[in-house]
Amino acid sequence: MSTSLWALRAGDQGRITGFGDALAESYRIRLLELGFHPGETVSCLQAPAFGAPKVFRVANTVFSLDDEVATHINVETDLA
Amino acid sequence: MSKIILIGSPNSGKSLLFNRLTGLSQKVANFPGITVDVATGKLASAPDLSLMDFPGTYSLQPISGEERVATEYFSKALDDPDVTQVLCLVDITRLEKSLYFTLQVVRECARHGKRALVVANMMDVLARHNIEVDLEGLAAEIGAPVLPISARTGDGLDAVNDWLRNPVENRSENTALAETPDTLLRGTAHQLAGKYGPRGDLLVKTQARLDSFFLHSALGGFAFFAIMFLLFQSIFTWAAPAMDAVEAGLGALADTVVPMIGPQLAKDFTSDAIFSGLGAFLVFVPQIFVLTFVIGLLEDSGYMARAALICHKPLRLFGLTGKSFIPMLSGVACAIPGIYAARSVDSPMKRLLTYMAIPLMPCSARLPVYTLLIAAFIPNTTALGGLVGLQGLAMFCTYFFGMMTGLIVTGLVSRTREDHYTDLPFVLEMPPYRLPALPPLLRNCWNRCRHFITKAGSIIFTVTVVVWFLGYFPNYGADLGASWLGQIGQVVEPLFDPLGLDWRYGVAIMTSFLAREVFVGTLGTMFGIEGADENMVPLVDQIQATGLPLASGVALLFFFAIALMCVSTLAILARESGSYRLAAKMFLAYSAIAYLGAIGVFQLVSLFTG
Repeated sequence: MSTSLWALRAGDQGRITGFGDALAESYRIRLLELGFHPGETVSCLQAPAFGAPKVFRVANTVFSLDDEVATHINVETDLA
Repeated sequence: MSKIILIGSPNSGKSLLFNRLTGLSQKVANFPGITVDVATGKLASAPDLSLMDFPGTYSLQPISGEERVATEYFSKALDDPDVTQVLCLVDITRLEKSLYFTLQVVRECARHGKRALVVANMMDVLARHNIEVDLEGLAAEIGAPVLPISARTGDGLDAVNDWLRNPVENRSENTALAETPDTLLRGTAHQLAGKYGPRGDLLVKTQARLDSFFLHSALGGFAFFAIMFLLFQSIFTWAAPAMDAVEAGLGALADTVVPMIGPQLAKDFTSDAIFSGLGAFLVFVPQIFVLTFVIGLLEDSGYMARAALICHKPLRLFGLTGKSFIPMLSGVACAIPGIYAARSVDSPMKRLLTYMAIPLMPCSARLPVYTLLIAAFIPNTTALGGLVGLQGLAMFCTYFFGMMTGLIVTGLVSRTREDHYTDLPFVLEMPPYRLPALPPLLRNCWNRCRHFITKAGSIIFTVTVVVWFLGYFPNYGADLGASWLGQIGQVVEPLFDPLGLDWRYGVAIMTSFLAREVFVGTLGTMFGIEGADENMVPLVDQIQATGLPLASGVALLFFFAIALMCVSTLAILARESGSYRLAAKMFLAYSAIAYLGAIGVFQLVSLFTG
């Protein structure tokens, strides 16, 4: 199923398929630099309450992203 | 002297490596105009080589103005003929996030004809997991030698020192990279990270467990408040005795030195101008040291990123980021360490907003002023059936008012700015939890204190001496009311008239520019009461006896909650932001809001109280 990274719940995994058009170019570049490449598997480690930024793992690095960024990262949750 | 640049992405252990390689021989300089330090130290194993510790960054392709300055500074350093080598640190356990930056650095070295050495840190973690990586293969691909180390255990540092002292020529190997643009480099980095990065799960299980606790909606919140309470308390329990000691030490020194001085004028100048001027800024040093230490502990342990996450959502409503919380909380004790703490806010726009909020936090220097005014104007009775003391309630409201004003100001200002997309996104690396290493932490505390003394001390000292001069002459300190300061107060009395205040309050307000609590002592002097700053009761009685209306008292509370009456805050704000204009603009804006608002409050309260 295709969804946004922000929609993942704690314990969910997804594969990055691309970035939304509304994401600023500079943000997209920074995400790529940090390892958020299309094709990369991302897992949601923590989804704290009250809409706080969620915690995601890509490769061996853990990042926290807020909804302003994570809603523009498209993921595929059907990893089979 | 040959110089070596040390550079690496954030959280890769750069401070610790710098400390290991240089020992204690370091000094720190600021980038012009921005808040990033470059520490320089002599290599312990080769004192003729100096190592420059550049700020951690994820990329040489800047996305904010500040990153651009840092990147340009790096390029400029590469043009320096004295710079011969670049030491680029990568965290081998998280190669993906550091390799693109490493390739950029190696490419820039190739373009500038400098030697590059890549150092793969955290090899001890790989060893613990029995994972091996092909560093030679990686070195061949990127065209620069890669040496394995552990900055924590010290393993591999001898080889790094040997290399730095006797580098093998490797410039020619980088020629292919020199022409590669960033877009291709990103793909190469991703590919190489996949090929050479460690395979296996390196995330320590304890990190996940600790995160489940610290980011838990109930337990995490409880832990957050407990840690913030300890941080706040540390300023009072650890710094307060040291501050008292600084004051007592200066007092004792003054008592020894002053009697040796002959003429009365020189005596007064030494005791009241020189020693007061020194005390005016030295007293902040313990606070800065303690707060830098505690914040450093939080940063190095990995908790700071978690705290920023917890606070992010509510603060975003007001245009701030989660990282603004600790500077603002520090500001409740004192704006100066708060402004220093704002260095951790990496987004330039959000740091600016944090700067705007900090002086509105109800700092401890406001407390004596609030105590005096509330004691003088608010009856010492209870409300709500004896549940709430009226004076305590008034104090709480004044504190709350300051904090809310800070948030409202940042909320409004953030909505008028259009540079949102030139700002940094909230993508925060969550470093593993680690036991902080003490030497780099203490080095940072020492550097911060030295920065304050050398950069802000002179401004604070000068202003203190000028105010002393105006208050001392022409009658040699005999009567503050008849001094030049008193005369200025009488001239500008019409300014204070709309607040129902006479010129004596005007003089006290003017002197409170040195530090807000000076208001109490000066007002005491104006009413002929000595030692009002120690015992306020006679001054409270005197204010009540003069029949000053409640409206004036509330207007003064409002004024002090908003006005940026603190030369030390302004001095450090100008130095940290690199902009005297920002400090001047904030002073004028908050003075105008405080003054005009106080007039409005005076009128409003007068309506109800007649």
